This record gives sequence, structure tokens and C-alpha cells, in this order.
Amino acid sequence: MSLSTHNLSVGYHDKAIVKQVNLSIPEGKIIALLGPNGCGKSTLLKAMARILSPMEGHVQWQGKNLHSIASKKLAQQLALLPQTQPIPEGIKVKDLVAYGRSPYTGFWGRLNRQDQLIIDSVMHETGITELADQLVSELSGGQRQRVWLAMTLAQDTPYLLLDEPTTYMDLSHQVELMHLLRKLNKQGKTIITVLHDINQAARYCDHLIVMKQGSIITQGSPDSVLTQTLMKDVFSLNAQIHRDPIAKTPMCVVE
Amino acid sequence: MIFTRLPFIGQCLLLLLFLLVCGWISLFSWSVIAVTPMDALHALYKMNEDSIAQHIVHDLRLPRVLIGIMVGANLAAAGVIMQGLTQNPLASPSVLGINAGAALGMATVSSIAPWFGLLGTSVAAMLGGGIAWALVMLLGNAWRGGNEHGRLVLAGVAISALCAALTKAVIIIAEDQAAGVLTWLAGSLTDARWQTFDALWPVCIIGLLGALFIAPSLNLLQLGDDNARNLGVSLIWVKLGGSFLVLLLVGSAISSVGAIGFVGLLIPHMARMLAGQDHRKFLPVAMILGACLVVLSDTVSRAIIYPAETPAGAILALIGAPFFIYLVRKRTL
Repeated sequence: MSLSTHNLSVGYHDKAIVKQVNLSIPEGKIIALLGPNGCGKSTLLKAMARILSPMEGHVQWQGKNLHSIASKKLAQQLALLPQTQPIPEGIKVKDLVAYGRSPYTGFWGRLNRQDQLIIDSVMHETGITELADQLVSELSGGQRQRVWLAMTLAQDTPYLLLDEPTTYMDLSHQVELMHLLRKLNKQGKTIITVLHDINQAARYCDHLIVMKQGSIITQGSPDSVLTQTLMKDVFSLNAQIHRDPIAKTPMCVVE
Repeated sequence: MIFTRLPFIGQCLLLLLFLLVCGWISLFSWSVIAVTPMDALHALYKMNEDSIAQHIVHDLRLPRVLIGIMVGANLAAAGVIMQGLTQNPLASPSVLGINAGAALGMATVSSIAPWFGLLGTSVAAMLGGGIAWALVMLLGNAWRGGNEHGRLVLAGVAISALCAALTKAVIIIAEDQAAGVLTWLAGSLTDARWQTFDALWPVCIIGLLGALFIAPSLNLLQLGDDNARNLGVSLIWVKLGGSFLVLLLVGSAISSVGAIGFVGLLIPHMARMLAGQDHRKFLPVAMILGACLVVLSDTVSRAIIYPAETPAGAILALIGAPFFIYLVRKRTL
């Protein structure tokens, strides 16, 4: 296991949000982090991306403590798409995406041919090629989200950590994104994503991790995780579990 | 504007040409002993030992122009770094207390222990500026990130006021040094000589190269601390290194010519308007613009109440203060 947490507690201002979590991320899968608001999904993701420092325990990356690895080297392995992003002033879409190549660029941030190829391809994949010369600050929320996603993908890391990547996106872009994640997964990337739509998670992800109040309640394949009792325990909802008529994955319908 | 559409190299060359012209004008204009434009040129490459005018150019005006160029570039670069590190459009040596702190350090050493000489005052200026800035950053919570722009500026104002009060106390206590300290507080290139130049240029070159070196990291800091860290920037090293560079740049500039304000605030914004948001481009543009502005203000400072001199710092404050107000009104801080 490349990425794992050991007795990890992490939070803000001395208050632990994630409490003593032991977790091994299964390699080569699409993993969804699920749970109600404030359960610590984002906090856990940020800790795994070394944005937050642990209060207790540690995060391990290939047998080493995450915080002991050189920043630039780690940035070639893990990329995080945070949930809320700033709106940078005066920066063009193509320049923002190009910043995703920073961990690789040589002297003074110079881009080589390969960098340019990767930038072009992620812009195409996220459907923002036409926006290249526009200012990021002038885009709509959904467009901007795709630009940030493109920057994260330009980092070309084997591990992708996404915090609600579908935010602000319309339904067709959400579906496109999930297909893109599958494609990236087939290319060998491990993807860990926070999702709110449980049915989306069940349909597109291989492994679900369910959290509540800073702890992991259960994890496993969508079939083993999604049950009536889980929906009741974690989300306080009375729901029935049916089968998706197309994908044959479990699907929950709220009563 | 046509200028903004020029390629980066073209912009730099055009600005350098403008700087050369400003420098040349500054070499011969407003002199009590008449200096012709040709004298100014001759003094540079084939000096006539008998000409007083050419001696004035070589011994007084040339070091003055060169020091003005370096001071301007230093302060502009320091402003760019400070705005990049704090993500605050109002960050600059004068607003965040470095000028006042350096002034206090300088005044203290030159009043109480004048035998330390130039080196002593330089070190005192850097120490004073460093302590003041560290206090402002701590009070303003700037290391935690976030958008508390107002708080940082308030901390800067408070620390500046405190330092200014202490500086006045020092002047009152050591009255015999007061005149020198007061001239210095206003910021003037009147006393800039080759001796000052020799002390300034090595620090200036190291500081400016260092600033260019961290420009790509400053680009990533624009995306917020989280994104910068995610993209492989070591935040602690960039912030410590950047702060050290600021102290080097501001400390050396201030100990050479005194507390010149507003260059570090004004120029980064002008450079951004001209060259865009990429630090690798607007930082060099800011350095050249800063040099132009200081050389120009120095020239104007000799003209206003000719033949007496107004401190260049006063001219800059006259231009800078309205611009500061404009910024505060334009931005939603």
C-alpha cells in the first residue's frame, strides 16, 4: 500500500475533526469518501495531501512519513483538488493549467515540448480548450472548476485526491467527469474522491469509504457497503437499496 | 495601450532606454555650476581632468544616479516580494513597518553609538526593519494565510507609529546628531557618493538575483497557500527566503539613502498593469520602473526650490500618497 494513515488525528485550532483513523488506500482503484457534512472527509483528504499537519499519528507514503518527503518530489506523486478555490486575478486559463507542470519544470519554470503536450491534452480532456485565452476570473463556476481540475491533472501524478470535483458542474459535465476519472484509472491512476451523490459513487467507484464524526464506519465494494442500515446509521435516512437498471450497481432511493 | 501589447523583451528594452535617458538628464540638469549635456557624456568615457563640470558629473552626479537606480530597483523588488508573500495588494516596505523600523534602528545607532560607522548603521537598519516586520506579520496573522488584509495593514500602521515615536525620542535625547538623522529620515540622495555605491552594489545584485530566483514560486503563491504547497512549493523556505531578501533589499537601500517610501507600493502595481500577473515578467519590469522613478524624483528634487534640494523621499510621498488612496478605494479589501 503506497498511501496509508496510522492512528491519524487532524483538525483545526486544536480541535480534532478526524480522530485516530487507520486507513490503507487500495492501489489502482477509484475510491469514494462518503459521509454527512462535517464528518471529516475533506480534512482527511487534506491530511493525506500534506496540506494539514497531523495532531497525532502520521500519514505514510511508500513507507515514509509524508511530511519528511521533499515538497517537489511529493508533488510529482500526489495532486489535490481542494473543495474551495480562490479566484486568481488577471490569470489566463492556459497559464493556470500550465502552473500544474510546476513540479517538473526546469530552471525558472520553463515549459518543454512534453509539458506543452500534457497541458494541451488535459485541456482537451476537461473541455476547456476554447477557454484558453480567457481570464479565470471571468468564467462561470462550473467552467472554473474544470480549469482547476485541468491544472490538477496537468500535475500528472499516479495519485489524485479530489474534493467534490463535481461542485458547480451541470449534470452532463458531472457524467463526463466521472467517465474521465474512469479513463484515468484505466491508465493506472489511483483516485480518491469526496462525493456527495451516493449513487454516483456506487456507479463509478470501486471502493467506498464511509465516515461519520471523524471515524471510518465501514469500507468496501459498493455492494457490500450500501445497505439500508448504513443509510439509517450514517445519514439518518430511511432508504431502499435497488439495482441500477443500466450499470447493475446498487442504488439507494430515499423513502 | 500599445505598450502592454509589446513582447516582454521589447518592454524591458524600451524601459531601459527610458532609464538611460532619465539618468543622462539627471547627470547634467539643475547644477549650480553649469554642466552641459556633452560634459555628462565626456565624463563617462574620456574625462577631462581640468573641467570642473566633468568632475561634478563623475564624482557627484554619476554615483548619485547609479545609487538611485539601485535603490529604486531594490525597493520595487522588495514590494513585489512582499505583495507576493502576503497576497496583500497594500504590502510594501513603508506600509508594513519596515521603513519605520529600519529608521529607528539607524537613528538609534547613529545617535547613541556613531563610531560604528556605515556598516553599523546598515546592520542596525536591517535589524530594525526585520524586527518591525516580524512584529507586523505576527500581529497581522499573516503567516496563517487567509484574507485578513485589513488586519495586516493595521498592524503595519501601529508598528510604524510606535517606531516613529521612538525615533523622535532618540533624536531628542541625542540632539547633536539630530540634523543628520532628520535628513536621512526624509530620504535623500544628496549625500550619495562612490563610497556608498561600493557598499551597496554587491548586496543589491545578490538581492535582485535572489528576487528573480523566487519569482516562479511567487507565481504559485498567487493561487493560495494550499495550491502552492500542492504544486511542490516549500512554503516555509519561500517565506523565510523571501523575507530575508526583502530585508537585504530594503535594509541596503535605506541605509544608503534613508527612508524612501512608496516606491515599493506604487511600482509593483504599475508593473502589473504593464506586464501582467506573471512574476517572471513583471518583477524585472518593476525593477526598471522603480529605478526610473527614483532617478526622476531625484532630478525633480533638485529642481523644485533650485538651487536648494528637496529630499527625493518627499517627492515620492507626494506622488505616492494619492496613489495609495486610489488603491484603497479601487480594491475591495
